[in-house]
Amino acid sequence: MLEIKNLHARIVEDGTEIIRGLNLTVNAGEVAAIMGPNGSGKSTLSYILAGKEDYDVTEGDILYNGESILEMDPAERAAAGIFLAFQYPMEIPGVATMEFLKVAMNEQRKARGEEPLKVPELLKRVKAASATLQMDMGMLKRPLNVGFSGGEKKRAEILQMKLLEPKLCVMDETDSGLDIDALKVVADGVNSLRAPDRAIVVITHYQRLLEYIVPDAVHVLYKGQVIKSGDKSLALELEANGYAGVIGEAA
Amino acid sequence: MNMHAQPQSTPAETALIDAFGERLSHLPGDGEVALKRDQSVEALKRGLPTRRIETWHYTDLRRLLTAVPEFDATLAGKPAAPLIEGSPVLALLNGVAARPVAIEGVDVERISEKLGDGTYAPALGPQGADDAIGALNSAFVADGWLLNIADGTVLDKPIELQNVQAGGQVHARLAAKVGAGVTATIVERQTGSGDALVSCVDNVVVGDGSHVTWVIVQEQPESATHLGQFNAWIGKDAKLTLFFMNAGGRLVRQEIRVAAKGEGSDFQLRGVNLLSGDTHTDVTMVLDHEVPHTGSREIVRNVVTGKAKGVFQGRINVHQYAQKTDAKMACNTLLLSDDGEFSTKPELEIFADDVQCGHGATVTEIDHGHLFYLMARGVSEKSARGLLVKAFLAEVIEELEDEQLVEALEAKLDRWFATHG
Amino acid sequence: MPAVQDTIDRVRKIDVDQYKYGFETTIESEKAPKGLSEEIIRFISAKKNEPDWMLEWRLEAYRRWLTLEEPTWARVEHPKIDFQDVHYYAAPKTQSGPTSLDEVDPELLRTYEKLGIPLKEQEILAGVRKQEEPSELNGELASDNIYQSGRVAVDAVFDSVSVVTTFKAELAKAGVIFCSISEAIREHPDLVRKYLASVVPISDNFYATLNSAVFTDGSFVFVPKGVRCPMELSTYFRINEKGTGQFERTLIIAEEGAYVSYLEGCTAPQRDENQLHAAVVELIALDDAEIKYSTVQNWYPGDADGKGGIYNFVTKRGDCRGDRSKISWTQVETGSAITWKYPSCILRGDDSQGEFYSIAVSNGYQQIDSGTKMIHLGKNTKSRIISKGIAAGFSQNTYRGQVSAHRKATNARNFTNCDSLLIGDQCGAHTVPYMEAKNATAQFEHEATTSKISEDQKFYVMQRGIPEEEAIALIVNGFVKDVIQELPMEFAVEAQKLINISLEGSVG
Repeated sequence: MLEIKNLHARIVEDGTEIIRGLNLTVNAGEVAAIMGPNGSGKSTLSYILAGKEDYDVTEGDILYNGESILEMDPAERAAAGIFLAFQYPMEIPGVATMEFLKVAMNEQRKARGEEPLKVPELLKRVKAASATLQMDMGMLKRPLNVGFSGGEKKRAEILQMKLLEPKLCVMDETDSGLDIDALKVVADGVNSLRAPDRAIVVITHYQRLLEYIVPDAVHVLYKGQVIKSGDKSLALELEANGYAGVIGEAA
Repeated sequence: MNMHAQPQSTPAETALIDAFGERLSHLPGDGEVALKRDQSVEALKRGLPTRRIETWHYTDLRRLLTAVPEFDATLAGKPAAPLIEGSPVLALLNGVAARPVAIEGVDVERISEKLGDGTYAPALGPQGADDAIGALNSAFVADGWLLNIADGTVLDKPIELQNVQAGGQVHARLAAKVGAGVTATIVERQTGSGDALVSCVDNVVVGDGSHVTWVIVQEQPESATHLGQFNAWIGKDAKLTLFFMNAGGRLVRQEIRVAAKGEGSDFQLRGVNLLSGDTHTDVTMVLDHEVPHTGSREIVRNVVTGKAKGVFQGRINVHQYAQKTDAKMACNTLLLSDDGEFSTKPELEIFADDVQCGHGATVTEIDHGHLFYLMARGVSEKSARGLLVKAFLAEVIEELEDEQLVEALEAKLDRWFATHG
Repeated sequence: MPAVQDTIDRVRKIDVDQYKYGFETTIESEKAPKGLSEEIIRFISAKKNEPDWMLEWRLEAYRRWLTLEEPTWARVEHPKIDFQDVHYYAAPKTQSGPTSLDEVDPELLRTYEKLGIPLKEQEILAGVRKQEEPSELNGELASDNIYQSGRVAVDAVFDSVSVVTTFKAELAKAGVIFCSISEAIREHPDLVRKYLASVVPISDNFYATLNSAVFTDGSFVFVPKGVRCPMELSTYFRINEKGTGQFERTLIIAEEGAYVSYLEGCTAPQRDENQLHAAVVELIALDDAEIKYSTVQNWYPGDADGKGGIYNFVTKRGDCRGDRSKISWTQVETGSAITWKYPSCILRGDDSQGEFYSIAVSNGYQQIDSGTKMIHLGKNTKSRIISKGIAAGFSQNTYRGQVSAHRKATNARNFTNCDSLLIGDQCGAHTVPYMEAKNATAQFEHEATTSKISEDQKFYVMQRGIPEEEAIALIVNGFVKDVIQELPMEFAVEAQKLINISLEGSVG
């Protein structure tokens, strides 16, 4: 589903190279964890997948279902089924969460040539999805993410992910700032999305989240490259021994 | 100056024009300087600014400047003890420079000599039609100090510049050319004993990478008129912190004109106005962000007692190419008497789109909740009020890094409260 | 930065000519000769069958106007206006004043239909909007045109005359007078003489004085004691004739305990010349009365090169004359080449309240200098100002506002928030607030920000599949939300659309 080949990317503003020849393959139906120390390029990778303009891809390619997405803008990638759950979801003052969900769902439908959802159907879907995430409908009348607690923001991200039904879910440090109860709710939400035609990429610094979202593959990112890949036992090894061992091995 | 033809000159306007005729032969300077003085006096002849001139909206100088004292060369000011013990002091005594002191890394010159050396004329003359202070000062300036601070100099003590008036008219200049990589603190004292008309223009150039803190303490007697103008140009990666305290004067206008000229430059303004009696105090700032990646923060706090009237006008101009400007301004006022007034005009003029600019202004009473809390702990209402007002002002003073300076300024605050609080 | 260049290029390509009300009605009209003189004023007064006192009043205003100079303090630039090159009166020939609907020229009815303003009461009644199923979504509304959906009484002003006022009979049953000001001068002279110029004095300012001399029509509203006006009232202003100016005068009085909500809309044909619109609006609220005044200003803004467009120089002022009275101004300003307008409140009555909610959008070469004055005179008076400015293209957008508390205004309270958004780096946003406190118990709070749409916000919204133009519209709509929600529901949707149209093509 996702194939990243020899990717090199730098920050537009100062030219700093962050991704330095990264290779990664994630198959449909798979949950892949990307782990790495701070500054290894994890968040940058998620932004580049989603098409943020702050980064220039200087070499290599990103193939999604076999086709390069480098020329697509963020909205086109989203409509094609790529979803990024942000580490720090943006606050959008004055735009009610419900209104935002409606616009996003219908814009994606429009891009795929589908009819827009009627209000009752939309409400039904939103209600059902919020219930599974233990979210209060009242929250959806508030402006998107404005004044939400850290946990509320993360739940709102998962809610959007459920409603938009993407094919490739990229979750950037979704566990940061969550207490254990919220973490379980979020993890349940993600697990419920596991499907044979869907891939989930979980970016995390700690092994904790992976106890609840058990990955099929674990990749270690360091200095903009995947330096080691393995199964879920690799995450446990990192937890026990830290990153130093793996880094030393690679070097 | 006022563009509208004035029907008749006020006594003050006439007195200024007459004074120029009398003083002309005593004023130092070369031919170019004389020309600039003539141009300046021509500007004065068009009349002092009224409230119809936007930058003088709240300070109608034509109406407020009711009388102009005569020059009196027989009066002599006495130097004051420096704010911080051991600071080198360069004094102007009723407009005349006293003997200079030697300061390592600093070349000190007298403005009276600079006026005659053929280089000074460009620094004179009004900057724009509304620059009454520049015009008045340029017409009459006779002396002052110029500090040339060499590259890399790090001053361990603040230099104190004193302008001490004893009466009559005093028109002075204080200037500093700060080289690159300098760290320096300059204290400017405006004080005296007479009912003088004082004008003082400061020109400060802050070289690349330098850090300069400039502190103006204005404590004129309640019979004096003080017209100050602080001009500064800030270079690349340089930082200028300007602190002012107004705690005196009958009619006071302090203008602050700062241009952020170099990328990465930073301007910090902190000021307190302690207003009492039947006085009028106006602080007017114009800040130009001219290049990308510059920052500024301004915090002005005012306390108004008696029949005092206060004004703060602050305009931030962000030029078209000054992207990534980050500018924030705040002006907070406590009105403590029924007869006091305060007017604020914080303006933003923005021509670049990728900026973060904001301003906030409040006029309030003392927070009743805080007052109640303190009184519930057994503090009398009077003391509680005093504590809260002082805390409101001290917050600004305490942002200065130099502890000795903070102590000295807080002592001034205490003294002011002892007599006016 | 490449992004900046891209924005500049796009802004260059702006097509401001998306103005959909730019058509012209071909209708024979009667005009006064160009120019301004006592003779012209006598002509206008005679055309309107005015009583002598009104003519004298006009002539006095004219004589004072001759002594005044055009104000120059606003941040707007325009060539000097030749006040002798304007027709001060133009009216459809078939029509010198309001008549019954049956007598209105069909061509005029068609014009208003084209503008989306039906004037036939039966049609309006027939078109009463059905209650939609309740929706929890914002902005999910059955219709986007209040005139076609709701029950609104309309006074239609075409150039210099009011052509028809709807629902008059029904309003009269409630005791509400709603008619053209010309009719009010003839039919209700005592009310007019009592209140006209009692808020905006004859020689208040250059344009108001000009208006006093030459005003031709406008609306008059009188809501008697204790009456809650049973429907929204609205005036729709249309400038049609070439070379004319429109000088309307509106006077709204709410007696003790009365309530009225009034809407104002305006459009004009697309022309290369600049046309002058200098209106005066006066509101008077007595004890416990409330007036809500909403404007969607969509005069022709000029073309992409800044050619043509309306000069909109307007004096609007409300007097909270009674205790506990309230006046609320809401404005959405998207049109006009130049807007010079400061709807204000004089908070004279104790415990009175003033509000000002504004959205000012400028694009192309438009210039807006707008804001408000809140003058606190009475005790415990409150005011609130929310201003949202959006500048794009080569436009200049200024907020200018004054808040003052006078000596006796014990416990005066003001909260002001003005935010500006810049789109592109060839435009300017300016904030000029004046705050004047002369009372120790006054509490004023002012905050202002200027910024651009954050790239991170835009990226976030686009990541959910919303294309760039829509993403920006969504963020802009959020930015103006606080003000939009002050508008009557159906008006709000129209206003939001108008803002999006005004900004089309401005984002890069």
